[in-house]
Amino acid sequence: MLSPFKATGTDAMSSSDNKPERTLADLGVTQPDQVVSLFAEVRARFDSQASRPLDHPSWEILRQSWLGRKSGALTLITENWLKAASPDLKRSVGQELNKLKAHLETTLDERKLDAQSLADHSVSIRERVDLSLPGVIRPIGSHHLIRQVFQEIEDIFFSIGFSVVEGPEIETPYYNFEALNIPEFHPVRDDMDTFYLDLPKGAKTPLLLRTHTSPMQIRTMEKQKPPVRVIVPGKVYRRDNPDATHSFAFHQIEGLAVDTDITFCDFTGTIEYFVKQFFGPSVKTRFRPSYFPFTEPSVEFDVSCPFCGGTGTASGGGTCSKCKGAAWIELFGAGMVDPAVYGFVNYDAKKTSGFAFGIGIDRLAMLKYGIDDIQVFFQNDVRFLRQFP
Amino acid sequence: MKVVYNWLKDFVDVAASPQELASRLALSGTNIGGVENGAHGAVIEAEVSSNRPDCLGHHGIAREAAAIYKLPLKHVSPKPVEGQAKAGDAVKVEIQSPELCGRFTARVMRNVKIQPSPKWLKDRLEASGVASISNVVDVSNYVMLELGHPLHTFDYDKVRDHKIVVRRAKPGEKMRTLDGIERQLDSNICMISDGDGSRAVGIGGIMGGGETEISFSTKNVLIECAWFEPVAIRRAARFLKLHTEASTRFGRGADPEMAEIASRRAAELILQLAGGELLAGVVDIYPGKRAAKTMRVTRAEILRVMGAEVPDKEVEASLGALGFAPVRIDQNRGAEGSLLAAWECTQPSWRADVEREIDLIEEIARIYGLHKFPPRLPAARQGAARLPHYEAETRLRERLIGLGYREILTIPHVAEERDALFRPEGITPARLSNPLSEEANVLRSTGTVTMAAALEWNLNHGQRNARLFEIGRHYRLNGSESFETRVLTIGATGEAREKGLYDSARDFSLADLKGDLDSIGELCGGFRWADGGAEWLHAARRGAVRLNTIISSEARNLSSLGVAGQLARRVAERLKLRQDVFLAELEIDAFYDTVRIAKNPRRYEPLPRFPSVERDFSVLLADGTKFSDVTKTIQSLGIGEIHSIEATDLFRGKSVPAGKYSLLVRVTFQSREATLTEAQINDFSGRIVGALGKQLGAQLRAQ
Ligand SMILES: [Zn+2]
Repeated sequence: MLSPFKATGTDAMSSSDNKPERTLADLGVTQPDQVVSLFAEVRARFDSQASRPLDHPSWEILRQSWLGRKSGALTLITENWLKAASPDLKRSVGQELNKLKAHLETTLDERKLDAQSLADHSVSIRERVDLSLPGVIRPIGSHHLIRQVFQEIEDIFFSIGFSVVEGPEIETPYYNFEALNIPEFHPVRDDMDTFYLDLPKGAKTPLLLRTHTSPMQIRTMEKQKPPVRVIVPGKVYRRDNPDATHSFAFHQIEGLAVDTDITFCDFTGTIEYFVKQFFGPSVKTRFRPSYFPFTEPSVEFDVSCPFCGGTGTASGGGTCSKCKGAAWIELFGAGMVDPAVYGFVNYDAKKTSGFAFGIGIDRLAMLKYGIDDIQVFFQNDVRFLRQFP
Repeated sequence: MKVVYNWLKDFVDVAASPQELASRLALSGTNIGGVENGAHGAVIEAEVSSNRPDCLGHHGIAREAAAIYKLPLKHVSPKPVEGQAKAGDAVKVEIQSPELCGRFTARVMRNVKIQPSPKWLKDRLEASGVASISNVVDVSNYVMLELGHPLHTFDYDKVRDHKIVVRRAKPGEKMRTLDGIERQLDSNICMISDGDGSRAVGIGGIMGGGETEISFSTKNVLIECAWFEPVAIRRAARFLKLHTEASTRFGRGADPEMAEIASRRAAELILQLAGGELLAGVVDIYPGKRAAKTMRVTRAEILRVMGAEVPDKEVEASLGALGFAPVRIDQNRGAEGSLLAAWECTQPSWRADVEREIDLIEEIARIYGLHKFPPRLPAARQGAARLPHYEAETRLRERLIGLGYREILTIPHVAEERDALFRPEGITPARLSNPLSEEANVLRSTGTVTMAAALEWNLNHGQRNARLFEIGRHYRLNGSESFETRVLTIGATGEAREKGLYDSARDFSLADLKGDLDSIGELCGGFRWADGGAEWLHAARRGAVRLNTIISSEARNLSSLGVAGQLARRVAERLKLRQDVFLAELEIDAFYDTVRIAKNPRRYEPLPRFPSVERDFSVLLADGTKFSDVTKTIQSLGIGEIHSIEATDLFRGKSVPAGKYSLLVRVTFQSREATLTEAQINDFSGRIVGALGKQLGAQLRAQ
């Protein structure tokens, strides 16, 4: 067994020095001051051993020899000095023993840290981690890019008081067209080629796939009196042959704000706020008069091309490919709600005003992320999905 | 509409460059497709919106430019020299269907010389993208492009009895149009016929016929310039699938007053280019003549709609330039900027689209400039709400993404036969009556059909490992009613864990799918699994997913959420999916409701103060005995200190006899009152072993 007082390697001592194995009487200690100097001697011995450079194994040997439960020096001292002490010495032995014990523990703890850092410094290159190797990557999924854009837009409008509602994709001609002031044979219907469902004979109404999210303007106003502030994210359908810029299914966000006192200035202010949040504060906006049967005045909304900074010139010279040199990009159509629409939902057109807009999400995502083929959104190739974590 | 810059200058003296003019037009409502510099000068491509037929001619665009730049517009008042003989003696016109044809004018010219057009005319037509044919035909095209009003020229001598009859098409009537196609008509179509009306010589407002066409031998010409009812024209053009320059202009609403002016303009040009004699006067049958509408616009309404002032003189200048002849009619007239200001306006014949105060306001605003109305962000009056299931869906997405699933979005149009592979019995799919192709002729009746297609795409593009989800809808019919149901669809194939530096590869299995679904189920108080599932799933590897918590009697029917499992090999074969594919589809609304409801009653459970103790039981069970039998048996002992029962290992073969399997069951004991003693644990263990042996015939294996 290891003992600081037994012969160990170069620290060999004569067995006559192995004082903790003997009793106090044996050592001729009869007075308290003798006790103190005896403990001082032991302590000095420990300090000299502990002051040598230690690696972890030698620290462990040191600890065992002093604090080991079965034959460490402290255990021996307890057995041979304290328990066997005469009553008049017991108190001072006890005190000295406690002091010694505290000193050993503190010093050993400190020396353990020193030993550890010595070990850390001396590990071999072989053991060292290669940080250029990958860690363990747990597979994590992702939101679809279209969903991310939806979320971003919803959050912006939500922050200025727009609630989110949803509606059916299978609609009636009434909601998709008529109540939006688009009667049958209206020229605008020619621009919205429509899918119809094959229904059994005797169906009350034809059903179609909504060509825009605008039917929810009507459904919302039917259910709710002003003030109304909603956005409607969703899928819409037009019977166009698919190519790089057309898909017969795509995504829109409709917006509608109706109240007693909403003006064109509120409308443009809202749209500008949205665009600056979405594209950044330096983007410029403009409104061009346009025509939609369910808004009046109607506008097309343009932003200064965010790719060339509205110059029309690409950074490397030459024409900007995104705006084709026009410096502006057409984003979406909007306008003040046409009073004729209020007639369909029993609002008083004289006391009501508001605005509506319809944002094409796919186009916006293509613009913002430089995607040149709308079909990639729907192919769902994992190599595409991975690009937008 | 191609706008030839130099042509425009015939009517308005614009100094602005073509580019600048184009951008000003764009900002006042004429959409511009581009500006090109061609052999005949600049040409502006104007994309005129369908409510503005007046801008389908140079004169109309010139009016816009005049209003924008506050310049005078030159009016069109042709004064061709007329001969002695009267047109009224040379031609008769009868309108039998005034509801389709509101005006018909006829002029007659004698002894014209049909020849090629002069260079200036050819150039302007060429710049406009119109081919030159002969002077008389070119004039009719020229006048249409100039004044926006279509006209038609007949060989006068080929018109029987020199009489025109305008009537509805007869039942079963057919006619061969100028393009050589024989067309089946219907009785809502307006026909131009001659003589006694039995022979059709043209489809009114859409296209003429070949029999009375102008040729190089024509000597006498009949000029038709009419006005047709717009809705009837649009209907007819769509019915005939015949869209022409004329049908576009009449279909959007031409100017009835312009009919006679355009006719005069054509006569003037024909005289100039083809000589001959113009008979005096015009035969003008005008049953559709209407008095001009008047309407008012007030400053109060301008303010209410637009939110900012427009000065009096700007209101008057813009409306005046556009032909609305505004007159102040309020008490305060003379007072600049009065809040009571009101103007009475007269609708010009070329602006049928403007008939309400709001229409006038739009006119004022677009000419004044939309950028002059200062944007401001209005205050919200009420709190905003997310969708009711927003939080539940957000948490669902978080989990799925954390579990490694990527979100997809699909187009619901699929081939009927593919849809049928996944469609539950008794379900009617939503078929399209006008699909683009047979590959996309129904709306998916399940989410799995498009999920399978997404996995197929990835496998076909070398992407063998995919874990995908979609939150979308499936579509079904019940009679003539449609139902859209929100569904979560999950699809996985390939490796659950790919080979890497630290791990070996492991294929995705049903256990992965079940575990992932149960991680989702945790949000709603857990899923219950039952045998069953869809036909298209592998018979031994499928199950039905149910809600554990039944939230209301109404929701009890919805407690079945959907199915999950491995795609049956026979279906995988059909879809050419050459590796195992796992699919699940859940109707998600009941899940969302339960997530919401499960959250509220959740309460904190104090953490135990005493240590728990685990005991493992290695038991031999007969095949067919389920883990749930084991847990039920143990739970039936009613030992309150049982905290959990887990299966920690399962194996067959080797030392395990056939027909049996070995299951390692770990039971954790926990008391809230005290540290459990060795004696208590031994007692519990003994009762567990006894029950498993007695009820399930389980043998305890040496550990
Ligand atoms: Zn650009």
